[in-house]
Amino acid sequence: MASTQPAPDGTVPVATELLIRFRRLLGDDGVLAAEDELIVYECDGYVVEKKAPDVVLFPTTTEQVSEIVRTCNEFDVPFVPRGAGTSLAGGCLPVGGGVMISLTRMKSILEVNLQDRYAVVQPGLVNLHLTRHLAGTGFHYAPDPSSQGACTIGGNVATNSGGPHTLKYGVTVNHVLGLEVVMPDGQVVEFGGVAEGLAGYDLVGLFVGSEGTFGICTQVTVRLTRDPDAYRTLLGIFETVGDATQAISQIIAAGIVPAALEMMDQGIIEAVEAAYGFGFPLDAAAVVLIEVDGLEVAVDDEAERIIRLCQEQGAREVRRAETEQQRALLWKCRKQAFGAIGRLSPSYCTQDGVVPRTKLPEILEFITDAGERHGVRIVNVFHAGDGNIHPILLFDERDEEQIARVFRASDEILGKCIDLGGSVTGEHGIGVEKLEFMERLFTEDDLDVMASVRMAFNPRGSCSPGKMLPTAGACGMEHIERSHPGKQAAS
Amino acid sequence: MPDNTGEMVPATIPELGRWLAANAKGDRRPVLPVGGRTSLGFGMPADPASVEVATSRLDRVVDYPARDMTVTVEAGCRVSAIQEALKMEGQRLPVDVPLAHRATIGGAVASDAGGPRRFGFGTLRDYVIGIRCATVDGRLFKAGGRVVKNVAGYDLCKLMVGSGGSLAFVTEVTLKLKPLPTSSAMGWACFDSGDTVSDLLGDLSTSRARPVAIELLGPKAARQLTAESRQALPVGPLLLGVAVEGNPVEVEWQVDVLDRELRAGGATDVTWARDADTKKLWSSLTDYQLGGESPVSIRACLRPSRTVDFVVAAIDAGVAVQAHAGNGVIHGHLPDDTIDATTAEEIIGPLRELAAKSGGQLVVERCESGWHDALSIWGPPRGDWPLMTSVKRQFDPDGLLSPGRGIEAAMQQLSDDGMDQQ
Ligand SMILES: Cc1cc2nc3c(=O)[nH]c(=O)nc-3n(C[C@H](O)[C@H](O)[C@H](O)COP(=O)(O)OP(=O)(O)OC[C@H]3O[C@@H](n4cnc5c(N)ncnc54)[C@H](O)[C@@H]3O)c2cc1C
Repeated sequence: MASTQPAPDGTVPVATELLIRFRRLLGDDGVLAAEDELIVYECDGYVVEKKAPDVVLFPTTTEQVSEIVRTCNEFDVPFVPRGAGTSLAGGCLPVGGGVMISLTRMKSILEVNLQDRYAVVQPGLVNLHLTRHLAGTGFHYAPDPSSQGACTIGGNVATNSGGPHTLKYGVTVNHVLGLEVVMPDGQVVEFGGVAEGLAGYDLVGLFVGSEGTFGICTQVTVRLTRDPDAYRTLLGIFETVGDATQAISQIIAAGIVPAALEMMDQGIIEAVEAAYGFGFPLDAAAVVLIEVDGLEVAVDDEAERIIRLCQEQGAREVRRAETEQQRALLWKCRKQAFGAIGRLSPSYCTQDGVVPRTKLPEILEFITDAGERHGVRIVNVFHAGDGNIHPILLFDERDEEQIARVFRASDEILGKCIDLGGSVTGEHGIGVEKLEFMERLFTEDDLDVMASVRMAFNPRGSCSPGKMLPTAGACGMEHIERSHPGKQAAS
Repeated sequence: MPDNTGEMVPATIPELGRWLAANAKGDRRPVLPVGGRTSLGFGMPADPASVEVATSRLDRVVDYPARDMTVTVEAGCRVSAIQEALKMEGQRLPVDVPLAHRATIGGAVASDAGGPRRFGFGTLRDYVIGIRCATVDGRLFKAGGRVVKNVAGYDLCKLMVGSGGSLAFVTEVTLKLKPLPTSSAMGWACFDSGDTVSDLLGDLSTSRARPVAIELLGPKAARQLTAESRQALPVGPLLLGVAVEGNPVEVEWQVDVLDRELRAGGATDVTWARDADTKKLWSSLTDYQLGGESPVSIRACLRPSRTVDFVVAAIDAGVAVQAHAGNGVIHGHLPDDTIDATTAEEIIGPLRELAAKSGGQLVVERCESGWHDALSIWGPPRGDWPLMTSVKRQFDPDGLLSPGRGIEAAMQQLSDDGMDQQ
């Protein structure tokens, strides 16, 4: 830590003087630099690639974040923001080492204004805490990622998170009105605000989903949504995955946009049932969780139409959640499905691809084939209504040969998503994980234009280097290289 | 090649790219993208030396996989033509675009066109999921894709929506669609005082009904709407309209609820128009923002709860107003007898301040030629303008695309003024 010499792997350690400055700014309590403590921060939800930062900082104010950034620039040290670290794409990986800025102590709800339908929150606020805070007001914050019990609003903004209910209500970007951002040069700038439709470029929309490469968000003004007047929650049970995906395609094609349309296959059902005991049929090939919402006078009708469509596709049974407890348990099973996977395998890799919704049957068949071809067990739980698949590839981290097979299967599945007219990520982001796919999705000109937009925000490339675009950092940051470029980390 | 009117009308997107590339290397003439010419008056006037590059021949529907509920169209497609095609499949783009039979989708995207239904359905930024553009030096690029959920790469779709043709030429867009409702109704009620309407709007925000539009009109706008729609709307100082859509059961239930709520909120008379009768009302409400013959048109956006105050102040100042009251977005047209820019600025100044105090902004959308310099088109600079200028510079370092029209021009003006003073 104290050395100013480059380490053997070429990364630049943070100088002692820098540490003194940070301690002066944040107090000892706001600075983590001991090796054993840094281990926790060596990866996020993407566990395949690891690199500990040189120091982790815990600012509590925007001014502190700004001062940290200015100091990093003064010492020519890269920095990366981090929320709860639930990213599944390695968004928090401190490529090239340097300073990690944890926003978790900036977690206040600063204002709730129901009349104007917005809330102003700090970035470290846990998504679910906002939901809880709003309970009973008749309003809610719509984006509800399955990780909402842990992930932060700042992380959601950076990754443009979705969730089960974003099928009808839209993803994070559709619910952000304004941002306060500490720019990569330390300046504090406000984008957007409480009024909608401000003149000029939509920098809010551009910033959302920029994965920490455009600056550090220190305050978010989110739009609040009315609670639905009524909802009905259904569970369709199917004998084959094909029937289930056909039913999903039919529902969308019939012009019905349910509030949520989620699928779990047999592998997941098994794990979830063992964990939560909902009473899922263990012999079903797939279940589809469907929620419709709207006016009380209309929801039964819509539910009936959906039940009919499911039956026409050969559903064995369509159950209704009869009580609020049943509904809550169903949703718990869905949202905490990942937590149950531990029962199936020591490690797993959650993939995130998108296909046009009518292509769901095709991609699921392909996933099954890919799993068989590579000898990898794959289970599925995903946002079916959006065509957003999440095949979960199970493996044992200690077995390198297995990991290599997991990568091959993942690659093929994502490649197939591209072939079917889709994308390699619907909500988890590019991070470091999917950098190589960018050149398959986009042309050189596309990527050049994106790089030029990044230049307007982050000209030195010091903020979250090595993310999102396959090009190296920007000028001055050539010395930053990934310690374990891509998948070699595991091989 | 530009034709004899000086207009360039490419037949294909690659041809557009080649022409732009040649222009950037050769003549370097300023370029003005042109769609349906419904919104060219926005912002500062175009450089008279510009070559107008029209998208009128780029009008193919590229792909319409109706069962995926997305459509991909070239930029020159007329919005009404797109809506017609979608209607055949029981779908629509639920965004109101003024003069939809003339406006192109590319122009609508560039100017972030919208209308009354923004309350229920949001704006174009919520529907553009993929975009293809040409840079001013002729590079063709894309962002997003054709699937409804996608976070690969920076979301340049958002950047292009509302960019006013100043960053790149939009050549193709992919839109997310919604089902077409089978029924609709619009209720109209009059009120004497702003306070009554304010209270009612507060109550409506927790109504069990879910209106898709809430419109508030001053007397001038109300008269025009009545004349254009040929409907007998109530007459009074403030006219409030609420619209609902859905299946017939949903619509009737909501009409019932809202009728009661409007009356309880002080409306003496409530008139309902249904289904076919709402058609002309929707289009009049959507087109009103364009302002006809008015010498100056303004647009304010502010906290929704401050809408009524602003509307009342605007009416008192003689401005014809229409507010998308649920959103805090307000269109105003200055009286026909506003004789010069100084008089106009006297009217606008206090309203601009009121908008700023209400958490928002007022911009001049259109004015008589020659008035631009005396009026503050974009209002006082906001904190994110310098960054907008940097973004513009990345796309168009030499200022060849729609030069002098947008916020970056206002920034330039400000810094020039600053230098003059030194
Ligand atoms: C079990 C599980 C379920 C999941 N389910 C979903 C789901 O349903 N939908 C979904 O979209 N995602 C899901 N995810 C992925 C993940 O939870 C989301 O991407 C989430 O938004 C990340 O939030 P975070 O606070 O953990 O951010 P982090 O993981 O800490 O950071 C994510 C990225 O954001 C950047 N960042 C963080 N904070 C800021 C800030 N304040 N300013 C600028 N950049 C910042 C980081 O640098 C990084 O690039 C799931 C993950 C897990 C583990």
